[in-house]
Amino acid sequence: MSERGRLAMLLAALLLLAPVAWQVALALPAFGFPTSAYGQTINALVPHMRRVSNMVAAVNFDVRGFDTIGEELMLLAATTGATVLLRGSRGENIGDRAARLPGRHLAGRADGTVLVCRAAAILLMLFGVYVVLHGTVTPGGGFQGGVIVASSLLLVYLGEGYPAWRRIARAPVLALVEGLGAFAFVVAAAVPLAWGRPALSNILPLGTWKDLFSGGTMVVVNAAVGFAVAGSFGLILGEFMEETRGPEDEDMPDEEHR
Amino acid sequence: MTLAETLLPLAVLVPLGVGALLLGFAHWLTPRVADVASVTVAGFVAVLCAWLAREATGGAIVHWFGGWSPAVSGRPDVVLGIAFSADVASAAIAAFCGLLFAAAFMFAWSYFDEVNSHFHVLMLLFLAAMVGFCLTRDLFDLFVWFELMSIAAYALTAYPLGPSALDGAFNFTIVNSVASFMMLAGVGLLYARSGSLDYLLIGRTVGHAGADPVVLGGFCLIAVALLTKGACVPFHFWLADAHSVAPSPVSVIFSGVMVSVALFGLSKLVVLVFGGNPDILDLVRGALIWIGAATAVIGALTAWTQRHLKRLLAFSTIAHLGIMLTGVATAGGIGQAGLLLYLVGHGLVKGSLFMVAGMLLALRGSADEIDLYGKAKRLWPVGVTMALAGLLLGGLPVGLLHGGSHLLDRAVERSPLVHAAQVLATALTGAAVLRAALRIFAGISGAPGPERNGITEREHEKNVRPVWLMLTPAALLVLLVLMPSSVGERLARLGAGALVGRPAVAAVEPAGMLAQLLPVTLTLVILAGALLRRRPVRRAGRALVTAERLPFGGLGVLHSGLVGDYVAWAVLGLAGLSVASAWL
Amino acid sequence: MNVLPWIVAAWLFGIGLYGIVTSRNYVHLIGCLSVCQSATYVLLLGIGFVWGSKPPVFYDHPPGTPAVDPILHALVLTDIVVGAAVTALLLAIALQVQKRRGTIDPRRLRPMRDPE
Repeated sequence: MSERGRLAMLLAALLLLAPVAWQVALALPAFGFPTSAYGQTINALVPHMRRVSNMVAAVNFDVRGFDTIGEELMLLAATTGATVLLRGSRGENIGDRAARLPGRHLAGRADGTVLVCRAAAILLMLFGVYVVLHGTVTPGGGFQGGVIVASSLLLVYLGEGYPAWRRIARAPVLALVEGLGAFAFVVAAAVPLAWGRPALSNILPLGTWKDLFSGGTMVVVNAAVGFAVAGSFGLILGEFMEETRGPEDEDMPDEEHR
Repeated sequence: MTLAETLLPLAVLVPLGVGALLLGFAHWLTPRVADVASVTVAGFVAVLCAWLAREATGGAIVHWFGGWSPAVSGRPDVVLGIAFSADVASAAIAAFCGLLFAAAFMFAWSYFDEVNSHFHVLMLLFLAAMVGFCLTRDLFDLFVWFELMSIAAYALTAYPLGPSALDGAFNFTIVNSVASFMMLAGVGLLYARSGSLDYLLIGRTVGHAGADPVVLGGFCLIAVALLTKGACVPFHFWLADAHSVAPSPVSVIFSGVMVSVALFGLSKLVVLVFGGNPDILDLVRGALIWIGAATAVIGALTAWTQRHLKRLLAFSTIAHLGIMLTGVATAGGIGQAGLLLYLVGHGLVKGSLFMVAGMLLALRGSADEIDLYGKAKRLWPVGVTMALAGLLLGGLPVGLLHGGSHLLDRAVERSPLVHAAQVLATALTGAAVLRAALRIFAGISGAPGPERNGITEREHEKNVRPVWLMLTPAALLVLLVLMPSSVGERLARLGAGALVGRPAVAAVEPAGMLAQLLPVTLTLVILAGALLRRRPVRRAGRALVTAERLPFGGLGVLHSGLVGDYVAWAVLGLAGLSVASAWL
Repeated sequence: MNVLPWIVAAWLFGIGLYGIVTSRNYVHLIGCLSVCQSATYVLLLGIGFVWGSKPPVFYDHPPGTPAVDPILHALVLTDIVVGAAVTALLLAIALQVQKRRGTIDPRRLRPMRDPE
């Protein structure tokens, strides 16, 4: 279809949808006055039942923890997919030669950059671990902290350079961390079944209010998610950065030999 | 907790856990380990779910995750946790998923050796998501499994890394992602109105809601999302692009279960969540049935004009999904039973046909029926399988697929136009497959008709497996379809009733001899027309051929391959459904 | 004011769809998909908001203070992970397309329709 035809079709459809959307908007509960009792019941019951203060983490890792397993493995699936797509015919080798664009000057790395990045990467990683560990008490948790840890890996790249970085943050190790994190979550869900309790039950001691290790199984699950997310994002970063490497030899095969 | 309740989550947890382990240790494992582990896990899931279906005949097996059963909240209108509810129908469909995955793993044995078991990881996660999708009783959990299913599918489609595979995967991803955002918006709207995410609680609120725009809007958004995944017109464009470029073991799963399970999910929602609201039921019975009929006819006509075998099969899947949608549109009763039986029968036959296509790609280096003319005469066992599958698709009056088709005919008997669409679609798709089979394996053909201008591509797949290893799962699947339909029909009626917690749906009397033989006769007539076709010499004949090119060519132009077109059609479809909801 | 968040969500979705339909660059298209996704965030977070209440983390204020709905926060967190996953996959596909075809214009990239 021509571009005009496509756009006309879309605009006609949006014009038809506009009054419908308006009706729905008018019929929704007024903004700021929701009628749902689900969330308020959680706010009322869970702090005492599980001795945690972060309700979002409680919902994510305990009350609706089973959703989070699916979500965690979704991240794994996407990482696997991106890995398969980017490695493609390239294989698992690490390219040591940076791709060169003609006329572009490759500057060396200043000593100051290396020093700052080394210090900052360690501090950032510690901060990420802090955010993960305190997930059940203050805002944060496995997802947020895991992404921060993965970002600290980028700072390592900035400080050390690509080949050294790939040898520090090895892909098989990251994949192992990722896989074991997800597996730990699944095990935490399956172990209560052996005792005849429902899956993902909270079978560990609950700890004290506002303490670091409060929430029982939530602590384990939180840490597992942190590992899995850090591993996933680290792998994705590594695979995307590998694309900046030049070919080892100048001719690349242009047909896929499968 | 009973044994069945304890074992229920394992149907999802085991594939997830094994997939995570395979991914973690991928660098150090040999490919054989992944092959063996995957087949074992798929078989385990199939056996477990079949056992659960048997245990559920007395009542659905319910498992509340984390122990957050409704009693914990202390309020009758608040359910805090997520539940899995395995009734006979859902568990049986989950078992069928496991069976088809096991067959696909057998077919893919040693095919994906270079990638360190990543293929197996993605497929195991895909399997877990489909089982979760069938068994869940929570709307957001449904969305999570829907997304996991989709992401695994996107990655698997792009896998061959050929140019078409990448473009097909990109179109697939964009269209289905837009659909999943619509689903999330629909879930949000239903939560805003009902304050819960559990099917039964939402169902109670929806039943009292009347013609509430929020509830209607939520239904339209969720329905469009599931119709997109279930490839119904006008949301179907992505399917042909994706199925024809994905590796064959993956296409087996896509056409065999993924798209039909989406329609099963829609039927479950229509019955459990929206069944109490007469306005939504009017919309379902009034609009969805015509969408189904249109999908069946458009899919079948477009399939007839294809020459690339996988593309032909993809469009025939679309046609059969249209027929299944007419079953969904009857909202329960005999149509639901027909849907269940048709889903299983069609999945087995289509899976087998995609395996045949994969064999041709591996052994003869092409999937184009005109290029392969007469080239596979030595592979006659494969040809017999394909011909048998084609006859079954075309309405041969034996087996599960025919049983399902009969139930669906009964369900729509008050709309003769819809019934005619079903018969036409069945006949056209069966004739298309038979035409291809005769061309490729017997070298018998008439002059090429509209399929000569069909799009096609040169490709091949690796040839590392012996023929018997590839043929066995395909033949087994076709043999399974030939099971007597009376058994299947009884189970399907039991399942349809169990879905709503009632006894089995009443039996229908068997069809007369004329009605039974009509579809397959029509198939053979269309096939004969194709075989007897001669290149036109006289002017009248040539004018006829030019006139024929218009509608079929028009259909081809519509399926343009541009993602912008696909999304524009999808939004138009959403607008149409919303306007219909306001009107009906 | 009562309906503004819903209008914003609908507007964002419409704009994102417009971008997808008229896009001439895969990376731009992926960005428009993110815009569509932001529409769902706005809708979900708007549904759970309560005027004059605090976040559902009872560290600085005791349990029992009015707080917003934590369920929707959890849903949006899941949605963000979904979005990140899909974006990573799409960008990987776009990269491979650029390497193998030399273009990322959707109008020139139609599955099975170019001569090989």
